[in-house]
Order: sequence, then structure tokens, then C-alpha cells
Amino acid sequence: MKRIAARSVYTLIVLLLSSIAVFYAIRLSGGDAVSARLPASASYEDREEFRELLGLNDPVHEQYFRYMGRLLTFDLGKSLTNNADIFEMLTHHGKNSLILGAAAFLLVFVIGVPLGILAAVRRNSWADGSVMTFSVAGMAVPNFWLALLSVWLFASTLGWLPSAGCCSLKQLILPAVVLAMEGIALTVRMTRSAMLENLGQDFVRTLRAGGLSEASIVGKHVLRNAMVPIISLAGLRIGQIVGYALVVETIFGWPGLGQVLVNAVLRRDYPVAQFFSLVLIAIVVLSNWLADVGYTVANPRLRKA
Amino acid sequence: MSPDGGRVATNGSNGRPVLSVRQLHTAVATPEGSFDVVRDVSFDIGPNEVLCLVGESGCGKTITALSVMRLLPTPPVRITSGEILFDGNDLTQLPERRVRDVRAERISMIFQDPLTSLDPVFTVGQVMTEVIRTHRDATKAEARDMSVDILRAVGLPAPTERFDSYPHELSGGMRQRVMIATALVLDPEILIADEPTTALDVTVQAQILERLRSEQQERAMSMLLITHDLAVVASIADRVAVMYAGEIVEEAPVDELFSNPRHPYTQGLLRALPHASRKRRELVPIAGLVPPMQMMPPGCRFAPRCPHALEQCWTDQPPHEVEAGVGLRCFNPQPF
Repeated sequence: MKRIAARSVYTLIVLLLSSIAVFYAIRLSGGDAVSARLPASASYEDREEFRELLGLNDPVHEQYFRYMGRLLTFDLGKSLTNNADIFEMLTHHGKNSLILGAAAFLLVFVIGVPLGILAAVRRNSWADGSVMTFSVAGMAVPNFWLALLSVWLFASTLGWLPSAGCCSLKQLILPAVVLAMEGIALTVRMTRSAMLENLGQDFVRTLRAGGLSEASIVGKHVLRNAMVPIISLAGLRIGQIVGYALVVETIFGWPGLGQVLVNAVLRRDYPVAQFFSLVLIAIVVLSNWLADVGYTVANPRLRKA
Repeated sequence: MSPDGGRVATNGSNGRPVLSVRQLHTAVATPEGSFDVVRDVSFDIGPNEVLCLVGESGCGKTITALSVMRLLPTPPVRITSGEILFDGNDLTQLPERRVRDVRAERISMIFQDPLTSLDPVFTVGQVMTEVIRTHRDATKAEARDMSVDILRAVGLPAPTERFDSYPHELSGGMRQRVMIATALVLDPEILIADEPTTALDVTVQAQILERLRSEQQERAMSMLLITHDLAVVASIADRVAVMYAGEIVEEAPVDELFSNPRHPYTQGLLRALPHASRKRRELVPIAGLVPPMQMMPPGCRFAPRCPHALEQCWTDQPPHEVEAGVGLRCFNPQPF
């Protein structure tokens, strides 16, 4: 419990620091929302007046405290470019991202763990070889390229699946698989090595001496031991998926948080970009925290310590 | 090779051995070839008898025991020839499925290191229940009762609470008791104990040995105890088989072996022991080292270290000869 409490405090500190970093970074990148909002013919005076109105000429730390103050009262504000309500953007696009992310997260384990078990149980067979080759490829291929490749193959050439859009199941398949690929590859490797490591442990021999079936020994005892590192690192997979979602959502035109954030940054839509950066950071930090909790839950040796 | 006729277990009253190992050869495959780590090993265990298998680390004691349980890490280690006769069956020939029925139900085994030999993510009770229900038609409640009873019988304090403990919550001695309880819960005919006390504190060692001995006697169970500790042998064994470099070199009733060892290796082991009645006598180590398995001498495996080696010992392998319950593998036995 102490471990979890300490970790929670640490999580809050990271969130605070990253809010500052995000706030400054987006202002350092030059340009502002004015050019996106006002027509190109707008005069210098008009532009200055608009900046003044939005408070963009105030010192950055004043803007920061004002922004954080509003954030703490759950006033998320509106988009600078199209006046859309940010809370509405969060619920609408958040739902889409959640669908895509959950699908990818599920695929990571539903595909990764069984393949890893197969590779471990049939060690050094052709099945092991193919699974491990697939796994190396999955880690080596950058996902933007995998995205383009899969669009070319499954959408343009074979015509089996749509190349973009939202939100039918058919449209979900390609982005979810691409988003999950690296996680699958890592999970396969981790499952395989954890299974092999535990298969060599003394307790396996004791269980065999107890007359238990190989199915129970491998499928229950060894697997449960092997799941300790995999469950622990499940949280990290969430962080990874959130990071890659920016790219994958943009390529597949999936209207999620990643796409919103990319557009907001390109248009210097400060409140939108700040808020959604913070949301993504919060998810990553939370998933790391989950990884720690997960380790404690998966490993009885840490539970009562 | 070894004349087995007329072999009798000395302790059992009806004399029929419970387990008979005949000319067992177990080999390990390496990139340089296949080597016998257990060579021509034969022994019997009678009913209600404790046979101790003694020898240095790496002499093949554990491999012999794992061969009997069919728990060898195959590959690379496998039985190449020989018979292991138990209840009319040759265990080396049984399909894996039937061997599983024998394990725990009829022949049980406990291991050296109780720290690593228990599944860390399951409770004591979960594993015991699974072992019971694998072999018997028992409800979970019945299995729980059986487990708690046996945990209490092996002297584990607070057995009801311990049933739900994870191994890491127990001390080394408690874990060894859990392993013994799991091995005995189905009341097997034979218990194989592989250095059950080596990893424990000295005080705990004595308790565990005492417990093993009393359980063996109460259940009229046979036991194959593997150890390198001659003090353990003296306190618990009915008969002793001494192993050297994968072979049994001498086998005798325990008193006979300690008072009248014939094989130069056994004699060497005893001379290397401190003895209360022979104060200030210098301990005599056995010269030399066990040859690596790739370089076993063609004749007697002990010849390079033997003070009494004859010419024949360097060229011919001495057979395992049995006479009046005493087995010996030596061309030139010496009085002690």
C-alpha cells in the first residue's frame, strides 16, 4: 500500500511539471491562433486587438496560472479557431479514441500471449521460428509505414477493407491492428521468454512429481508465473498505444483525440492543444502507475510486503 | 554383468522388493557425444525399508532418483537402458500418462531446495488440493481436510492458516514440511527424498529428518534417501548404497557398511570423517578428483584415485557382485 501511495504522489508531480512544459513548449514554437482565426487581410491593429482580447500578450506565467485556475474549476474553454466547446470535443473524440485504443489493447494480449505460449511450448520448431520472425518484423517496422503498407494492400489492392473513416467495425480493423502491432510483437517475446524461464524452474519439477498433467503445469502454473511481468507491463502498453494513436489516427482519418491534437498544434489552437496534450500525458502517466499497481496485484510476493 | 539372483532386501520381512532398479543406464547428450552419468546401477528397496544413496555432488544420485520418477530433463538426459520394476511394471517403458498416475499416488519425491521447489504464485492449499484431485475423486472440502490433516501431521504450526499461505510467507523448514506433506498426502508406498535437509539450518535439519523417519515408520513406507551426509545415513538408513562417478560401488546394511567397508572409496569416505572416539586422529582426504564424464577411465572409474589399484583395475570394469546382501564393485577389496 505504501508503495502505491508513494507512486500516486509521484504521479501528481509528473502531471504538474508536464502541464508547465506543454504550456511553454507550444508558445515557443512560434505563430499563434490569430492567423487561423482572422482573415489574411486583417490589419496589424486588428490582430493585436484580438491577441489582447485572448490575453496572448500577457506574460506566459500569468497566462499559465489563469489557465490552470480555470482548469481546476473544470472550465475547459473553447477552441480559438472554431469556438467549439472543448469538453464536447473531449467526449466526442474521446469516445472514438477509446474504441480504437481498447481494440488495440485487447489485440495485444489476445494475439500476443497465445502466440508467445505457442512459441515457448514448441521451442525451436518451425512454429516458434515463424512467430519470432513475425515478432521481430512487428518491432522493426515503423507503424506509419505499416499503416501505409496495409492501406495499399488491404484497401487499394485487395479492396477488402476501407482505407479510412469511422466508426464501423470494418473501418476499425486496420487502424487497430496497426496500432497494436508493436505491442503484440513485444508481448509475444515477453510471454515466450517468461514461459521458458518458468518452465526451467524447480517448482515445475515438484508439480510434475505431484503427477499433475502437463496441460495444468504449462497452462496454469507456468502461465500464471509468466504473466507476472506481462500484467505488470500492460500499463506501459497503454502508454505506447496513446503515443502511436497520434500517427495512426491521422493516417486513417480516425476522428479521435490524437487527430484533434495534431490539428490543434498545427493551428496553434492553444487551449485545445494544451488540454489534449495534458489528457494524453495523464493517460500515459496513469498507465505507468497502473503498471506498478499491476505488478503488485500479479505478484503475491509483493502484496503483503 | 551383475548377478542378481538371490538378492534379498534385508529389512523387509517378506523380502519382496517394492522397487527394483536393474542395470540402469542414464546418459546425457552433449555436443561431444553421449555420456553415461548413471552406469549399471542396480538396487532393491524392500517394504518398510530406508535405503540411503550416498556420494559426492555430481555422482549421479539425483539423476538416479529422477530416472525412477521419470522426471529427467529430457533432452538432454535420458534413460538409455535398464529396468525400473515397480508393481509388476517397468517404469522405463510406461507411457507418460501411466507414469503420472504413479507419481505422488504411489511414489512421491521431495527435493533439495524448498525455496525454489514450491510454486510461488499459488497457495500451499491450492497446489495440495490440485495434487489430491488429480489422483482422487475428492471434493474441494475433502481435499482441504486431507491437506490440513497431513500438514498438522508433519508438524506445521497453524496448519489451517498455512493452507492459505503463499510459499514466500513460510520459513525454509516450514516449506520443507509443506513439500513433505504434499508428497505424503496420498499415502504413497515409496518416498524419494533428494537431500531434503541440505538447504536447511542444522537445528531444522534434525527435526525434518526425525519427521521423515517417524512418518516412514508409521506408514510402513519405503524410502530412498539421497544424501552426501554420512551422519544422516547413520541416523536413518537401514541399508546404504555408495555411489561414485555414476556407479554404485558398494551396498550393505548400514552397520555393516560403517564397521566393515570393503570398497576403497567407501573406506576413504569414512577416513575423511571426524570421529568422536578417535580423537586427534588426522582426517585423511581421498587423493585426486572425480574424473569429468568425458574422460572416464576405461577400467574401474575409481582406479586413478585408488591406493590399491591393480593392473586389471585400469583395463577392466569390475562387475557389481552381490554376496549375502552386500554388493561390491571392486577387484581388490581391502580389510578396513
